Amino acid sequence: MPKYEAIIGLETHIQLNTITKIFCACKADSWEDPPNTNICPVCTGLPGVLPVLNKAVVQKAVLLAAAMHAEVQPLSYFDRKNYFYPDLPKGYQISQYDMPLARRGYLDLPMSAGYIRRINIQKLHIEEDAGKTKNMDGLRLIDFNRCGVPLIEMVTAPDLRSSDEAAQYIIRLRQLLRWLDVSEANMEKGHLRIDANVSIRHSGTDHFNPKTEIKNVNSIVAVRDAIQTEIERQIREVDAGNRIEAWTLEWDEDSAKLNLMRTKETEADYRYFREPDLLPIQIDAAWQDAILAELPELPLDRRARFIDQYGLPEYDADILTGERSLSDYFESAAAAYGGDPKRLSNWLMNDVLRMINELDVPAGDLRLTPAHLAEILIMVDAGTLNTSTGKSLLDTVQKTGRAPGEIVQVEGLSQVSDEDAIRSICSQVVSENPQQVETYRSGKTGLIGWFIGQAMKKSGGKADPQLVRKILEELLS
Amino acid sequence: MPPEKIPQEITPELFNHLVNLAALDLSPEESEYIRRELNNQLKAIHDLEAIPLDPETPITSHGVPYSSEITPAIRPDEWLPYSHPEEIISQAPVIEDGYIVVPDIPHTELE
Amino acid sequence: MEITDLPAHQLTKLIRSREISAEEVLDASLARIAAIDGRAGMLTGGNLEPEEIQKIHAFITPTPQRARAQAQEVDRKLASGEDPGPLAGIPFTVKDIFCVHGTPSTAGSRILANFVAPYTATPAARMEAAGGVMLGKVNLDEFTYGSSNESSAFQPSPRNPWDTGRVPGGSSGGSAAAVAAGESALSLGTDTAGSIRQPAAFCGVVGLKPTYGRVSRYGLIAFGSSLDCPGPLARTVTDAALALKVIAGPDRHDATAANVLVSDYATQLEEGVRGMRIGLSPDYFRVTYFDGESGQLHQEPISPEIESAVLSVAGYLAELGADIVEGVPMPHTRYGIPVYFVISRVEASSNLHRYDGVKYGYRTPDPVQELSEMYRKTRDQGFGLQPKLRILMGMYVSAAQYSEQYYARALRVRTLIRQDFEQAFDPLGPHRLAALLTPTTPTTAFPMGAVYGDSVLMQYADQLTVPANHAGVPGLSIPAGFDTQGLPIGAQLLGPDFSEATLLRIGRTYEIATESHDWRKLRPAILQ
Repeated sequence: MPKYEAIIGLETHIQLNTITKIFCACKADSWEDPPNTNICPVCTGLPGVLPVLNKAVVQKAVLLAAAMHAEVQPLSYFDRKNYFYPDLPKGYQISQYDMPLARRGYLDLPMSAGYIRRINIQKLHIEEDAGKTKNMDGLRLIDFNRCGVPLIEMVTAPDLRSSDEAAQYIIRLRQLLRWLDVSEANMEKGHLRIDANVSIRHSGTDHFNPKTEIKNVNSIVAVRDAIQTEIERQIREVDAGNRIEAWTLEWDEDSAKLNLMRTKETEADYRYFREPDLLPIQIDAAWQDAILAELPELPLDRRARFIDQYGLPEYDADILTGERSLSDYFESAAAAYGGDPKRLSNWLMNDVLRMINELDVPAGDLRLTPAHLAEILIMVDAGTLNTSTGKSLLDTVQKTGRAPGEIVQVEGLSQVSDEDAIRSICSQVVSENPQQVETYRSGKTGLIGWFIGQAMKKSGGKADPQLVRKILEELLS
Repeated sequence: MPPEKIPQEITPELFNHLVNLAALDLSPEESEYIRRELNNQLKAIHDLEAIPLDPETPITSHGVPYSSEITPAIRPDEWLPYSHPEEIISQAPVIEDGYIVVPDIPHTELE
Repeated sequence: MEITDLPAHQLTKLIRSREISAEEVLDASLARIAAIDGRAGMLTGGNLEPEEIQKIHAFITPTPQRARAQAQEVDRKLASGEDPGPLAGIPFTVKDIFCVHGTPSTAGSRILANFVAPYTATPAARMEAAGGVMLGKVNLDEFTYGSSNESSAFQPSPRNPWDTGRVPGGSSGGSAAAVAAGESALSLGTDTAGSIRQPAAFCGVVGLKPTYGRVSRYGLIAFGSSLDCPGPLARTVTDAALALKVIAGPDRHDATAANVLVSDYATQLEEGVRGMRIGLSPDYFRVTYFDGESGQLHQEPISPEIESAVLSVAGYLAELGADIVEGVPMPHTRYGIPVYFVISRVEASSNLHRYDGVKYGYRTPDPVQELSEMYRKTRDQGFGLQPKLRILMGMYVSAAQYSEQYYARALRVRTLIRQDFEQAFDPLGPHRLAALLTPTTPTTAFPMGAVYGDSVLMQYADQLTVPANHAGVPGLSIPAGFDTQGLPIGAQLLGPDFSEATLLRIGRTYEIATESHDWRKLRPAILQ
């Protein structure tokens, strides 16, 4: 047993993909906009303004809470968190303090080592985002475009035990957010922001030691590396007999180093109190049921079902359920195909997925529909097409949007299986290449591949390759 | 405790802490006057301690109870762009290239 | 009677019938203002001659061009057969706590002296849309913090038209003075602890604090978010009803603006009070005086003059068929001010966080090393004494270690204050009142400078009005005579949630009953 155990908790802030901000009707997404153009009196904290809650924020929060197996509270409240910062125009953030929208909940992480780690969360609450600041020449420049964008905050219990698990949590969380369509979860755009709390303890003990906080780790790689670096640092310190101080650290991705941000002084007194400008959030059973009617089968449940129902290996199930649109695509194709799901999975994971990545669209947006894919596979199974024709047909269908059957007919792509026709082609190849024939007959039987290639070319790629091989072997013997 | 026996509740140290928390800066005369007035006000506030409060008595955040009938409908998720954001920004004391400019915050970074 | 002293509802009738034009009414108002208002309040204060000082000084920012354009538009509409709206041509003023697009919206404070609002508050916008003619922004206590208007950063502060050596009350002092002196027929004010009703009583006009949530707060520069109520000041009850109808109702910009039907308040006004149970509470005829130095609380009966004025109102109502119910207990009335000291300060200190010099308003011109120094200097230089007092008290009673003892406790006592009203008005309860009749204020208008400086004494001026703010219930102050010094006395009517129609009806009934009384013929000293 290793000497130390790492104890990690993650605090995540998730930017929702609603159309408008949480308390005003400005756009939620202003990534492309020039500074201070996506603003209004409310999100810039002008004198006299009031917040008005966006219905879609509650809906998405309830969906996420349900997917995290959390208990949605029928009554929750907004509170003001008061502090001064230039990107916080009102001088307070409207958040939820002691009566959050949902309590408890968990996310299961299937780890590659073969176990499942259940990560508990304490609560899920909604709040508003602040603006952005940047330094320039000893001054601060402020942009309020992002002020008021809706955020969900979830804090895990200190249940994670390694930097790998932490990375897995973020991967699974990101997958879930996109799956539910509650957030684009693009970490480079700051849609998913992470703070990590890290401590260590001697294995076999159960108390918690002082922890450090690593702020703003904003990629999967950074999560893993920063936490790993900190664990190792703490181990070195404790081994050397030093105490761990409750520091706040920052991860510098470029230099792969941790920097000290500040020592933990007295906690800021945020003087939380109930937000008087907003009424409590009331989610009755009827509303909750209506929202949850939209709750899809969750990724891990679907993954298990694909293994079970379609007999797919874990590897396949993982990839096919990595993204909701892709998994929906697989199921439609499987239903239309009716054949071996593993065979379908292979085609999907190799060729179709490559196409999806190149085009950078969700599977559901392809012109190569699941029905088209099924059609092509059926034709290849039936021998109407050979495999390589089938594969190039995928691209043709995607490019043109025309149905495979139609293309095959119009362009005469059907596999040539007529033995006489093939025999005639093979004979031609043999008679046109006496040199190679002699080389083959002199013992270089590996040349058969070259001959097959020549025959396939002559046939416009349509010949049945198995038949070509058989006939060529006969002719060359 | 009878009002005359309550010591000056907000000491100068606590007062200075509050002034810091409030991002204010006061002259010594102002500080003394305000601190004295606050302590007088606190004596009035202490009148509340005599009231027997049933632990079940809930808080009242708004005097009028907002039943579902009178609660306004929640806002639909529709974009309504604000017509003149420039007018908002033009109120800022210092602007540059569309950004609002303020002095920097010193970093307490150590290594 | 001069045009400027006519009630608003009569003015608009004359304008509609084209007997007089809106522009003529505007010119008459401007002439009245020119004659009696003196210099508008300014940051640079008042080094004025004594005669110049003894004027009303209701205004901070007159808006004559805006008013003329609006008046001309009203006349144009009438000429072409269009309806300009229910307030057609009525000159009104707006307490400078409301944002009005294109006007300096200062909250009576240096920290917003240069803030030009890019939008208009909903209640003000509704009055303009209804054909009202906005004469300007009128003075107030800084951020509405006060009961005398003396704390304004814009000096000189307004004076009482009945005796210019006295305060008009506050915080809507400019509103009450402007209406009393015939500078405008209506004014839009706000009431957080009595800031409409108390100055209305001091200046002998009608002031209505609607039910919390009856009128949208969008554009009202916030003080106590759970207490603030926009409302009208006017010279007659009918005028107040007219204004309320225009400003009341839900607003997509205010999540606390109640979804309650807006009655046509003016049509039910003259239905009388027969059979109505109207209560009197001994708790409202006692006043609390607090000695800050010794910490001693004294309670005394209210002055006999005020008591008899209010009882006289009861007498008239009884004669007209109301059931006067005596001895109604409102036992938590005396806790209204202590609770207010806590709740309003917590909300105020948070609401004032945004004034940091970053994005609007005052920013210190002094050189600074870094941001927190900018914050501190800006706020120290920009805020007057009253905001500083409220911010610091708010910080204290909401601080983590004291919040439970002070803030949470105050919110629970607030429940008891609310319960006093619920019990009084419960149709199945022991009293079953339609309304409670009380004095509006513990005293009549006090002299300028007499109370300012003693923050506790000043706050206790609101002791009879503040319970309604805690409970959210509506309150109407109506003129009920004068004391022996010739100063106006106000009587207050308090009612259940959204019972403005009832309160206005009771007020109108008393108005009609005393229509021809001599005291109604008295005019403010400034107009003589």
